[in-house]
Amino acid sequence: MHLPDGLMHPALAAMGWLVTLGVLAVAHRKLQSQLKEEDLPLMGLMAAGLFVAQMLNFPVGGGTSGHLLGAALATFLLGPWAALMVMALVLGVQALLFGDGGITAYGLNFLNMGIIGVGAAHLILERLPGLRDEARMFAAAWAAVFLGALACALQLGLSASFSDYGIAHEIALPTMAGWHALIGIGEGLISTSAVAYLAQRAPDMLTHHRRTSGLTEAPA
Amino acid sequence: MSEGGGNRSGRPSILREPRYPMALAGLVVLFALGLVGFYQYSADKGDGLEVTMEEGDVEEEGQVWSAPLEYGDDYTRSLTMGLLGFTFLAVLTLAYGHLLRRRQRVDS
Repeated sequence: MHLPDGLMHPALAAMGWLVTLGVLAVAHRKLQSQLKEEDLPLMGLMAAGLFVAQMLNFPVGGGTSGHLLGAALATFLLGPWAALMVMALVLGVQALLFGDGGITAYGLNFLNMGIIGVGAAHLILERLPGLRDEARMFAAAWAAVFLGALACALQLGLSASFSDYGIAHEIALPTMAGWHALIGIGEGLISTSAVAYLAQRAPDMLTHHRRTSGLTEAPA
Repeated sequence: MSEGGGNRSGRPSILREPRYPMALAGLVVLFALGLVGFYQYSADKGDGLEVTMEEGDVEEEGQVWSAPLEYGDDYTRSLTMGLLGFTFLAVLTLAYGHLLRRRQRVDS
């Protein structure tokens, strides 16, 4: 889902950058007041882990593949502000060092995979407190991928509607939504497995999530 | 978990508890194994956006930045590049976090 340079209309790409810079400024300020020493190792682990996880595409059928996005897992383990920063760093290194995602498209990539991914995951994780961690994790992970892809498809369609950039709505929406509905299942399974593993082996790593969601019981 | 406060031991926070180096090593092993599966089953398949671009008959053009590295197209090179990015991101994220913590201490 990493948009390359030259695919979107420059005005849309610029809007993506504006939104991204605004959100990153807020996230940076929030983190500066909230970050705890004990959150640092997990942040480092998460950023490094997401980078290599995003290199590992898995097949979803029909000659298509997908990879872990990780926005929901990062939100679950670190909270939304740290998750946003982790996503920003991962996407930045991918674009600058490895050419994965364009520089002009960085704003839209962060909007789709970072802001929408983390925002959707955070809402679901916080609004479904009655469900087990694994069920909420699956729903949040699926929604993060699907809604991010839907936003990307809408941007492609919007670009195409008034310029030679982008991809027509009739193609972009069903194709992106269809494939990412499947990729989201893979995302959900991987994220849920990670949370289940941590609940068994390192339940205190789920502390941040329990603190922010007001849950105090030990993981099931 | 380490106690909050400062960097008393002088070591990076990720190395202060044995479980974090263990977790880093575990992720590297998982990546090395996962890369075998990637080259076996997925390397020749486009992702959701690439397939959509094919359907829309759109090609990648207009690149404005020439990145110094690439993921590679064989196991050894991808493993090397993955480890490079993994290390770089771990260091970068920790450096950013420590910078924030230092500013917190200065502000308080």
